[in-house]
Amino acid sequence: MASRLLTRSTAAVLLSHLRSRAPNPTHHILPHGTAMSSLLGPTHGLPATARSCPLREPARWFSSPAPVVEAPRTADGMTVDAIADKGWTILAEAESDWRSHAAAVAQSIKLIKKRLKWKWLLERSKQLAVVLERPDLWEDPVFAGKVSREQGELMGKIKSVNQFEQELMEHIDMLRLAREEGDNELETESMRALADMRRNAKEKELNALLSGDNDSYPCFIEVQAGAGGIESMDWAAMVMNMYRSWAQRRGYAVTVVEEMPGEVAGIKRATIKVDGDYAFGYAKSEIGVHRLVRISPFDSGKRRHTSFAAVAVIPILGDASSRYQINDSDLRIERFRSGGPGGQHANTTESAVRIVHIPTGTTATCQNERSQHMNKASAMAVLQSRLDQLEITRQAQMNAEHTQSLSEISWGNQIRSYVLHPYRMVKDLRTNYEVSDPDSVLEGDLDDFIFNFLSSSLDKDDGNV
Amino acid sequence: MNEFSLLLKPSPSAHRRLSPAHAPSSSSLQPCNGCNRSSAIFLLSPSSSLSLEAEAKSEEAMLLSRSTRPILSPFLRKPKPSRLPKPFSSASASASALTPPTPRSPATTAHVPEDPTPLFLRPPTHPVPAPSLAAFRRRAAALVPPNAPHLHRHLRWLLADASSSTANPDPAVHLLRAPLDELEALWLRHVRDRRPFQYVVGNEHWRDLVVAVRDGVLIPRPETEAVVDMVGSVEGFGDGWWADLGTGSGAIAVAVARMLGPRGRVFATDVSEVAVEVARLNVERYGMQDKVEIRHGSWFEPLEDVKGKLMGVISNPPYIPTDDLPGLQPEVGWHEPKLALDGGKDGLDHLLHLCEGLSSALKPGGFFVFETNGDKQSEFLADFISTKWSSSFCNVEAVLDFADIKRFVRGYRR
Ligand SMILES: C[S@@+](CC[C@H](N)C(=O)[O-])C[C@H]1O[C@@H](n2cnc3c(N)ncnc32)[C@H](O)[C@@H]1O
Repeated sequence: MASRLLTRSTAAVLLSHLRSRAPNPTHHILPHGTAMSSLLGPTHGLPATARSCPLREPARWFSSPAPVVEAPRTADGMTVDAIADKGWTILAEAESDWRSHAAAVAQSIKLIKKRLKWKWLLERSKQLAVVLERPDLWEDPVFAGKVSREQGELMGKIKSVNQFEQELMEHIDMLRLAREEGDNELETESMRALADMRRNAKEKELNALLSGDNDSYPCFIEVQAGAGGIESMDWAAMVMNMYRSWAQRRGYAVTVVEEMPGEVAGIKRATIKVDGDYAFGYAKSEIGVHRLVRISPFDSGKRRHTSFAAVAVIPILGDASSRYQINDSDLRIERFRSGGPGGQHANTTESAVRIVHIPTGTTATCQNERSQHMNKASAMAVLQSRLDQLEITRQAQMNAEHTQSLSEISWGNQIRSYVLHPYRMVKDLRTNYEVSDPDSVLEGDLDDFIFNFLSSSLDKDDGNV
Repeated sequence: MNEFSLLLKPSPSAHRRLSPAHAPSSSSLQPCNGCNRSSAIFLLSPSSSLSLEAEAKSEEAMLLSRSTRPILSPFLRKPKPSRLPKPFSSASASASALTPPTPRSPATTAHVPEDPTPLFLRPPTHPVPAPSLAAFRRRAAALVPPNAPHLHRHLRWLLADASSSTANPDPAVHLLRAPLDELEALWLRHVRDRRPFQYVVGNEHWRDLVVAVRDGVLIPRPETEAVVDMVGSVEGFGDGWWADLGTGSGAIAVAVARMLGPRGRVFATDVSEVAVEVARLNVERYGMQDKVEIRHGSWFEPLEDVKGKLMGVISNPPYIPTDDLPGLQPEVGWHEPKLALDGGKDGLDHLLHLCEGLSSALKPGGFFVFETNGDKQSEFLADFISTKWSSSFCNVEAVLDFADIKRFVRGYRR
């Protein structure tokens, strides 16, 4: 009855209001993540040093009660799940069928929620809300800052999905209303809005693939040649090249941090830094052993050879408070020395620096820069990330499958096979995704492999919590 | 093909004869404790030609050099007329790269008519089509013997320094700071004549600075970087007056000046006019004109007016014993100024002169640090100063460099 009383102009106002909100201003619905697992809840004490930190601008807005998340409904009480469960046929996007659009969007929202681990997200944010209520919270500003930042991020994700759902419901209501009123113009507009949502939803699905704690960060990619001498070293160089091209295609900045060339060809090992949004989120899909089968250009007998290269990917964390604290006194800094009397006797442009973190035995080397100063700074950055990674693994105490270091990657862990002979194919052994054009893959066309892996790994486990 | 894969390409087999001088700079990193100094890599390669005789000699030279000083004389030639080599085709390039290196003294180098502005500071006004540049890169890389991988790095840096630093509006044409044939000539002289890479591009990356250098001025050494840290750890250094004697490129003076407070000053002296010129350039480049005063003259002579007022005296004077000069690594012995290296019979001539002047130059409590030839010289000087002038100086000690050689002597005036 009420809906019947809506005049056309009211509908138009409502519609324009919807439209002004419709396009999501943020390309990625997912803001930077933090190491959520590092939060141990209300009783967690932080190191004494943290307490002495001056109070930073506290983001107190989240110390409100737990968010009450009610699933948006249509005027007749349908939820997204209900729509998805209706089993409406999903037709091509070009078909003007509102049920088809609505069903497609509802499916997407379900997928997005799954990828975001929705139930866990809600649960977590409830817990954080409790923590944020504690009266003594701000006595430890670092901890408090961490909690409220995480809560802010969680709420951002939740809100973004809820808004999307809400929008779907409103468009459905509007469309039904237009039909009842026989308002063709409004019907067409609502139909178009639903179709837009459908396209939007596809993008959100992809973005939801990158909602891991460290996904938004830049990263280091390390490649190491397997056994087999020159063959594998050449292969390792090809793999490194593949990542450089891939990163450049995505518009990331690439810098070589460390490179140990093979005696004759290729590399024994190399590290590059890949800078740009979500570099780690994508590149982590590449962790593992890559296998090549080809007729060796180094074998005069033209025999077939199999070579291996191991790939490790390490996130470069941006959030200073979650980083491993390095004591200068725990470091040993070793510089390149040519031997000989040195000083005025010698001319060299060699300025490699290696830093050893004595307590953990972790090392980092940089030789690519032109001065010891820069090499030291670069090596420190690598060392910091390696230690951060150890810390993440330690704190999470779970299998940090995406942050393994090279030494942890077992040569049995093959993830992809590149065959150049006797047939041509690249096949991902985890997803079974394959293409028959190895050249384009080796030139950096990796995105399909990456998306396939990300979606298969996130969508397969049904445990939503 | 991109630069990376180019680097990984197996090198042409024509280069299998390697000059021992180009043996890979023993790239192992050694921990600071327990060092290995036996592997002096740089020695004068008599030849890298393919002739059997030369090969035999080359091995002989290598053996000799292990036990005694490297030999130079039998292969010393008259300096070549200072004509720029012609650009080379890749075929003939290999051959020319394998002709014996021509030793050059600084005097000959000075004859080469070359723009005194360091390459990396010249304006990028030479348009070069991308394919020509790529072809140059290939030709230049083909000249690199497989056991001298550091030359690949040099090639990369040369192209970086020679290119316009701003984004290129037209990717088909590169703007270079020198014509391509000049780059070819520079590269050839680097690979064949062992002219130091730093002179080729006109800079050395030292600490966090890019120090301009050119022929006639000593290229600052990585060991010397530590001197600046030592100054920084002197109490109240920031407001003091400092002297950098024999400033050369001005590297120490500029680095120290950048740490000073508003009242701090550096007085930098050098007897070499080229050094004074280059030091001025570096001081200007880092905007330190208000903090650094460059004075032309010998050691303490130009500093009469600040006598007794200095918080510190720093110097890296020439300290190599004269007899050791002929055996120096070619990059050093053939190309760097003798005036910056030759320390007299025991290498101590200038160091002793500096010690003599110290107590009247420094104010009470003032600090000094000198770089030396290493272990023996440092031990001798520390002992000498604390014995001869025990009433004037305290806390005199030898300090290790990163290779665990006692590289410095430092102390305080009482
Ligand atoms: C080994 S270089 C050191 C240059 C610079 N300080 C560095 O560390 O890179 C020695 C410097 O002392 C200068 N020198 C030689 N004799 C000198 C003298 N009598 N008075 C002042 N400077 C002198 C040389 O010109 C040269 O620049």
